[in-house]
Amino acid sequence: MNHIFLITKREFLTQVKKKSFIILTLLAPVMLIAFGAVVGLMFKANESHSVIEVVDKSGLFKNQLKSDDQLKYVFVSTADEKSKINNLKGNESLDGILILPELKNQNFAELQRNSRLVINSKIGFDTKKKIIADINDVIKKEKIKQLGIAETQLNDLDKGFTLKTINVSENNKEDSDLGFGVKSGLSILLMYVTFMFIIIYGVRVMRSVLEEKNNRVVEIIISSVKPFELMMGKILGVTLVALTQFLVWITMSVIGALVLNTGFSSIQKNIPGGNEELADKLDVAQIATQISHSLLELNFPLIIFVFIVFFLLGYIFYSSIYAAIGSAVDNETETQQFTLFAILPLMLGMYGSFSLMNNPDGPLGFWLSIIPFTSPVAMIARIPFGVPAWQIALSIGLLLGTTIFMIFVAGKIYRVGILMYGNKATLKEIWKWIRG
Amino acid sequence: MLKAEHIIKTYNAGKKVALDDFSIHVPKASVYGLLGPNGAGKTSFIRIINQITQADSGEITINGQKLNPSHIKDIGYMPEERGLYKNMTVGDQLLYFGELKGMSKNDALTEAKKWFDKLHIDQWWKKKLSELSKGMAQKIQFVVTVLHRPHLLILDEPFSGFDPVNANLIKDQIIELKNNGTTIILSTHRMESVEEMCDYVALIDNSKKIIDGRVFDVREKFKKNIFGITLSEIDENNFANFKSKYEIFNLSTANNLVSFDVKNDTNQNNIISDLIHVGKVRSFDEKIPSMNEVFINAVSNNS
Repeated sequence: MNHIFLITKREFLTQVKKKSFIILTLLAPVMLIAFGAVVGLMFKANESHSVIEVVDKSGLFKNQLKSDDQLKYVFVSTADEKSKINNLKGNESLDGILILPELKNQNFAELQRNSRLVINSKIGFDTKKKIIADINDVIKKEKIKQLGIAETQLNDLDKGFTLKTINVSENNKEDSDLGFGVKSGLSILLMYVTFMFIIIYGVRVMRSVLEEKNNRVVEIIISSVKPFELMMGKILGVTLVALTQFLVWITMSVIGALVLNTGFSSIQKNIPGGNEELADKLDVAQIATQISHSLLELNFPLIIFVFIVFFLLGYIFYSSIYAAIGSAVDNETETQQFTLFAILPLMLGMYGSFSLMNNPDGPLGFWLSIIPFTSPVAMIARIPFGVPAWQIALSIGLLLGTTIFMIFVAGKIYRVGILMYGNKATLKEIWKWIRG
Repeated sequence: MLKAEHIIKTYNAGKKVALDDFSIHVPKASVYGLLGPNGAGKTSFIRIINQITQADSGEITINGQKLNPSHIKDIGYMPEERGLYKNMTVGDQLLYFGELKGMSKNDALTEAKKWFDKLHIDQWWKKKLSELSKGMAQKIQFVVTVLHRPHLLILDEPFSGFDPVNANLIKDQIIELKNNGTTIILSTHRMESVEEMCDYVALIDNSKKIIDGRVFDVREKFKKNIFGITLSEIDENNFANFKSKYEIFNLSTANNLVSFDVKNDTNQNNIISDLIHVGKVRSFDEKIPSMNEVFINAVSNNS
């Protein structure tokens, strides 16, 4: 035990003291925010502001086609159509001319046939779509008017149907769409965290094993400690490194949120009260309370418990595979064919979990969250939706069993692998080591 | 101090034999050389002593006690494939290895400082290994091996990669450790590099021990009663007589000096008295085989 502690300590201290670790830990959140900002800017930069002149001979569209930030309609006189089109060429302040013919005998099909959009450069797909939608709206309204239906009646027609779902197994709780959304969000978040954590830090374990092997320091160490102790110490050391990184990030985001929060509220106070904004805020506040309400309804102690158990077991399970891979090869390029074994099942669990969002209690969800290779991500994805206790127990039991088994197998590969220099092990050889 | 009896070790489910009924006895406070070509089984044996691998059968005892994990902190091992952590400082590294061998931090610190003074390397304590030259790293490697005051020191190819200056420095330290009671096992395929240090040797070839014993005895056993002679001012007539009486070979003449070898299985003093009449004796010495020659002879005798 003392050996494992010493190895864990060394692994932790050397990794945490590395400059690359410190820089990455401190910069990652900043970089993430910067990245988000750049992506946002790129979208913003690509937004077009189009100005379209409308020649409306039908008179139907005046005041009905509404301009907005991206698209501006300018109604012009119906005369001189030709000279206007000629002017369009090379005119930079104008993007196109929409020509709408007269409506004769309520023949809308003919109106459509004779409508034209003349442009002087490429017009964005979105802009074209918007113009079509706008025209469509006006025509639809006009057609309805002819049918003799009042506006209020029409609104009544459009009203959707909502279905209240009541779950008898959960104290007759109402199952709202928003609640489902919140659960899906939480589910995806937890699953991603687990997936990324296992991949990133599993690979770190593998690197560390490889480094010792390449440094040839490993034989000195295992003349003092058991290979198994060395492997476990390494896995635990890297776990601590990961937890440290998490802790730093969580602290940074809490501080960041606090700073931003006070910043925002002071800005809001300074804005001379616009009614629209107040209404918007009210809406946001309402949604926020609803979200927090549905969050509060979740069984958090259970979710946290399941998350921690599956997260740690899954991580140890996969890290031991990574440690075994690191010991069986000679350099990093050779690891690729083996790491597939460690990544594929995880990917399967993750992509499978996306589809299980639709039906968390279905057979796919059940099996993915029971089979140990996929259960670390799938069970975490399922848990916000609620999982029967016996399934959780079964899954934990199976995962625990296979994790212990995997550590045992990895230990065997590791024991032989770390002393094999200069040749890459084949799968056949590895199988021999496991049996031997 | 260390006794190995009938050790058998195989790999690949018995297909490859690394050690075949291998037995040696290493006396306390001696330097014991395990000599043999690469792949003879030396490293396999050393790994068994270090409990990195286990023998299929046979028994090893240390001071009469069956080999067990408690012996590990009594053994200092420098593997053939050596290396240290590149990103750790020399000091941290020494403390870590000391602690892994069961030393307290303070104990490891004082012992390490002692060695650093001895090897005049105390200014390296805070340096990272990646900042040191290869020769410097080798010294650190040696300190790592002896830091925990092992009673048994096992050095696999101890001088490979050492420059002559460092090799001599380490040789001196090994002799000093031996004089202080440490038992040392050296394993190498470069026999000439260790033969003058060893008190005992065991020659291994193809997983079998061929011969073992005191270095003096082993060489005595393989000597062929050949004497190297150099003479000056030769009397040709008497030399012709001498040639008819003895079997001589490797005759050469340079700068009026005549050198040749003589094979004689009886008393060598007879040769000397005969030589007096042939010329002035410049040198006369018995050709004792080197370990290399012993090894080649032993292997050819064996097969």
